[in-house]
Amino acid sequence: MQTVTQTPPKDKNEARLELGEVAFDIRNLDLYYGNFHALKSITVQIPARQVTAFIGPSGCGKSTLLRCFNRMNDLIEDVRITGEIHMAGREIHGPDVDVVRLRTEVGMVFQHPNPFPMSIYDNVAYGLRCQGVKSRQTLDAVVESSLKKAALWEEAKDILDRNALKLSGGQQQRLCIARAIALEPQVILMDEPTSALDPIATMKIEELMNDLKKDYTIVIVTHSMQQAARISDRTAFFLLGEVIEFDDTVTMFNKPSDARTESYITGRFG
Amino acid sequence: MPDKTRFSSKQRKRRQAVDRTMRGVFLFCGILSALMILLIFYFVGQKGIQVFLPSYGEKRQNLWNFLTGMSWRQDRGVYGVGFIVINTLITSFGAAVISFPLAVLTGLYIVKLAPKRMRVVFTTVIELLAAIPSVVYGVFASGSITGLVNTIAGWFGQITAGGVGSLSVIFLLAIMIFPTICSMSIVSIAAVDRQLELGSLALGATPMQTNMKVVLTAARSGIFAGLILGLGRAFGEATAVTMVAGNAMIGPTINPFDPTRTLTSTMLAGLKETTGLDYDIRFSAGIVLMIIIVGSNLLIHQIRRRIGGVTNE
Repeated sequence: MQTVTQTPPKDKNEARLELGEVAFDIRNLDLYYGNFHALKSITVQIPARQVTAFIGPSGCGKSTLLRCFNRMNDLIEDVRITGEIHMAGREIHGPDVDVVRLRTEVGMVFQHPNPFPMSIYDNVAYGLRCQGVKSRQTLDAVVESSLKKAALWEEAKDILDRNALKLSGGQQQRLCIARAIALEPQVILMDEPTSALDPIATMKIEELMNDLKKDYTIVIVTHSMQQAARISDRTAFFLLGEVIEFDDTVTMFNKPSDARTESYITGRFG
Repeated sequence: MPDKTRFSSKQRKRRQAVDRTMRGVFLFCGILSALMILLIFYFVGQKGIQVFLPSYGEKRQNLWNFLTGMSWRQDRGVYGVGFIVINTLITSFGAAVISFPLAVLTGLYIVKLAPKRMRVVFTTVIELLAAIPSVVYGVFASGSITGLVNTIAGWFGQITAGGVGSLSVIFLLAIMIFPTICSMSIVSIAAVDRQLELGSLALGATPMQTNMKVVLTAARSGIFAGLILGLGRAFGEATAVTMVAGNAMIGPTINPFDPTRTLTSTMLAGLKETTGLDYDIRFSAGIVLMIIIVGSNLLIHQIRRRIGGVTNE
């Protein structure tokens, strides 16, 4: 195993993104899976400390773009990316960017809750431990604050040493959010985080997102247009690898400027 | 209107008859295998316990002396398994200590790191290793491993009986249980949900951290099942072990270069007649061996529960 020196997980001098700033500045991004042109010259700006929703029919590229932000596409063979994504002034595909560090800045929550088969505590402490943090005090504090922010503390505080797989699906997903928060990321990416959950668990996650956007930039892929309308500040509508429309959610759902957006959100296809 | 034939009573009766027949067949299979196990238990138990009962006559053995005895002399009618139990534990756990980490890391390498084409080659080789009959291992060990152990003993200024003894048995068993543990590790590591790995990588873990912390933890159930199977093979292997153990008459043996004696080699070696004390007492050794295997399985279950701090069930 790698030996890591005991340094704080990230550079504390780095300023956190503030409301009104741009979290991701995407310029002319094209992505190919082999010969398949999956994203076509995407140019959008994701605002910091707001919730941005990506909507669109299946296979339109919204999850693919989401995975660009923490470079999870690196793990797929035969992917070619051109164009730029700037985060805090740096091109995230640049040679000076450490992908491991990028992923501590840009957390991700997956469609299906995927807690590790370890205790609740170890799940939340996992990211910090991978960064070399060993101090029990630090870990205890971070586990508690992360679980509190993820609205799971009250349910989990007495069973921190219990296997995380014993939690319900909704609790597992909140644990995955806590796990990401523990690294104090700038951004939390959510790939259909509630599609495997029941309505009550979904409601809790949505409330949670509303709280989290005070501190974090949230980008969420969702198949539910109601969800996008309920929780997001900005919405991007994807179709066949292109961003057709990107606007304030309220404007988008009331007065879409593109006919294709209107027919999608009114349920004429998708 | 639903399809009439689906609900006709004739069809239904036939289905029920087939269902009943099949249930009977399964029941028969279940009873048969249960009966066989019971029969073996009864036979071994009856044979093995009788030598300690008054009804056995003047050759009756004392159970306490049998369990704590530090000498097994067939020629003198002295039967004590105390030292044999200790030697058996040393050789089997010794083999597991060498083989287990190697086998698990090999499995991890094959599944996660090896180039795709090599994966098939490696897996085939390991499956082949598992298929080699134990007597072949024994013949191989009798020349090669004993020679190696003899050389190693020379470095430490030790004299061996031509290389036979504890260390040879440990090396031999380590090789023999390797494919069992390794193939179980391969299967269970390959079955780990890719989503767990992605989750770990997305938290800024390196691929190596992901493999060591998440993949192995998630696969531990199968890996420890492999360890149990491997240890079972180590405890139960007789032929090859007898060929290199040296069958010491006294013990226990702590020096790895001294001849040793395991429960299986005791049961196998010097078997002549299938009546009388010398035959019956081998069943007593067999009972002790079965108890050791059950005991070590329980121990491994406990270890597995402790690892990772949570129960897996």
